[in-house]
Amino acid sequence: MKEAPKITRILASEEFTHRFSRRTILLGSAVGVISGGLLLAGCSTSKSPKAGELSSAAPKPSPIESKLNMYNWAQYDDPNLVTAFTSAFGPAVQIDVYSSNEEMIAKLSAAKGTSGYDLVIPSGTYIPQMIKNGLLEKFDKTQLPNLAKVELALLGRSWDPTNDYSICKDWGTTGYMYDTKVIKRPMLTWQDFIDAAQHEASGKVSVLDSPPEVAAIYFWAKGFYWATEVQAELDAAEKFLVNDFASHIKAFDSYPGIKLAQGGYALSELWNGDARQGLLASKNPERYKWVLPTPRTELWMDNWAIAAGAKNPVAAHAWINFILDPVNAFTDMQYTGYNTGSMGNEEKAKTAKLEYLDLIFFTPAQIATMDTGEINSAQSRLVEMYSKTKAKAG
Amino acid sequence: MLWILFYSFGYKPDLYHSIATDRLSLGQYKLAASNTFFQTFMGTLRISLTGTALCFLIGFPFAYWLSVRVPPSRRPIFLALILIPFWTNFLVRTIGWRILLAPSGIFAGVLHFLGLHSTALEVLDTRGAVQLGVVYNYLPLMILPLYVALDRLDPGLREASKDLGAGRVRTLFKVTIPLVSPGIIAGLLLVFIPLSGDFITATVLGGAKGNMAGRMIYDQFLIAQNWALGSAMAVVLILLIAAVVLFFGSIAIIGRHIIRYRRRVELAIAL
Repeated sequence: MKEAPKITRILASEEFTHRFSRRTILLGSAVGVISGGLLLAGCSTSKSPKAGELSSAAPKPSPIESKLNMYNWAQYDDPNLVTAFTSAFGPAVQIDVYSSNEEMIAKLSAAKGTSGYDLVIPSGTYIPQMIKNGLLEKFDKTQLPNLAKVELALLGRSWDPTNDYSICKDWGTTGYMYDTKVIKRPMLTWQDFIDAAQHEASGKVSVLDSPPEVAAIYFWAKGFYWATEVQAELDAAEKFLVNDFASHIKAFDSYPGIKLAQGGYALSELWNGDARQGLLASKNPERYKWVLPTPRTELWMDNWAIAAGAKNPVAAHAWINFILDPVNAFTDMQYTGYNTGSMGNEEKAKTAKLEYLDLIFFTPAQIATMDTGEINSAQSRLVEMYSKTKAKAG
Repeated sequence: MLWILFYSFGYKPDLYHSIATDRLSLGQYKLAASNTFFQTFMGTLRISLTGTALCFLIGFPFAYWLSVRVPPSRRPIFLALILIPFWTNFLVRTIGWRILLAPSGIFAGVLHFLGLHSTALEVLDTRGAVQLGVVYNYLPLMILPLYVALDRLDPGLREASKDLGAGRVRTLFKVTIPLVSPGIIAGLLLVFIPLSGDFITATVLGGAKGNMAGRMIYDQFLIAQNWALGSAMAVVLILLIAAVVLFFGSIAIIGRHIIRYRRRVELAIAL
């Protein structure tokens, strides 16, 4: 059972396998498939689910279609779960990948219900407008009994208060990790990130390849709301990023974790799951330190949703119900390193002695410092300043 | 092409639409040619001109050696050595360099072994890495037309030049190069034009420091979903490439006329 992941390690260096995952730029397809089993190899306790172990609480809806087309972030679900789903329920699963919410939305809105995709995984903040633009189909909740297994705190979020269109796939936050050999001072805040980037870590800094999260470094450091629409704050952010910050950036990298842990960067803005993968892959993890920076930071949540005009709605519901099953949700969490928000995940993780639990689960006090942000009139401005920062950095 | 031109006068109406053309303006051009972005265009030209020159400096001697010095029976082996990597997927070929150039990769090991470099190799995510990558990726496009041109050159012409008293250098500049100039021009264009629009090499090897215009356009179309700005940038890039080709083209034509004119004068004096 563990053979396949080992082979993939030989085929592609770890650094690359991770360049092609969630929100990556290039076509993750081929390389992504090859590197699929990597995380499984990292988690000694991981176990591929068998059809027989599936929860009996899931009624088999019929008639189920023979296909399921998923439009997903690359490497975002355990391939073993996909296989198990097909053998238990029948539909062959076809997965296409996208690298940004914008890309997925553009495709769905251009197709006007004929995209051919059944399932999409939008981030929470994008959902209200997607519903308004008729890009999503309402759930038939009678086909989703496992909705009851999701942590209450993750239900009824502001973007979809009744969960009629979406349900949490997993969630995470944004922080940074640094090399303690390069940065010796204590690091706690986003201002510390900026100071270190401008001094001892200059030229060895990576930031996320995502417009809002580049500008957010400034907003968070200054204590502004990171989805601000105040003109003066946006102007100040652009001035800071282009004139004072861009020249210190080494790369715009959404998956810097492993590279950082191999000495490729000294300071990286990253998502918690990626930081964890970096630490798991590192030979001397004590050298690198993860920081959940103050005063504020992000809480992002990706959600299962059914695309408008889905041709295989029964299969789509069956998949969502399948993946919300606590056993499968736990398996998927081990694969991505992000909390799938199923009740009991934390206890199971403790029992299974997973490493770096503080990078998957957060305390209520920590969660209180996280904002989900929103998509508003500032979006195009953020993209513009991101493009300028990129041009200036080069 | 025309759509790109048309779109470049449009704008991005909101997050959910990539393009609107109900209001046409030059605003996108103003932004595309602004200082910040223009810097990337200039950086791109620097990389593509240097890359083309390096490809020529490496490709010409190699093609000459292959077509003149290597016996015909062995040539297919060398051609295969050039072509087989070229058949490999562009992306995979480029990613291969990331493995070779990694701070603790093979090159670092070799340099360390030779005692030339002791600290971690810091080539990745720099302009240098992109420069190396593009030369590697586009070299076959330079070698092949040069090889074809040199191969078709009658060896008798070089011998005749030698018999008439011209040295090696003179034969090269007065006989060989003028006769294979169509191959040289084809090679230069085949390398320079696609290289200027390349975005894969810059994305894979360049990090933030080795940004290129192709990457910037890619970002506007696929990440920012701002087709209007992306189109304007694409048009600016096309114009810049055309300007460079015209510039060097006219230098070459003027140069040729001057040489011919001087030759005519020499001949007239000799007569």
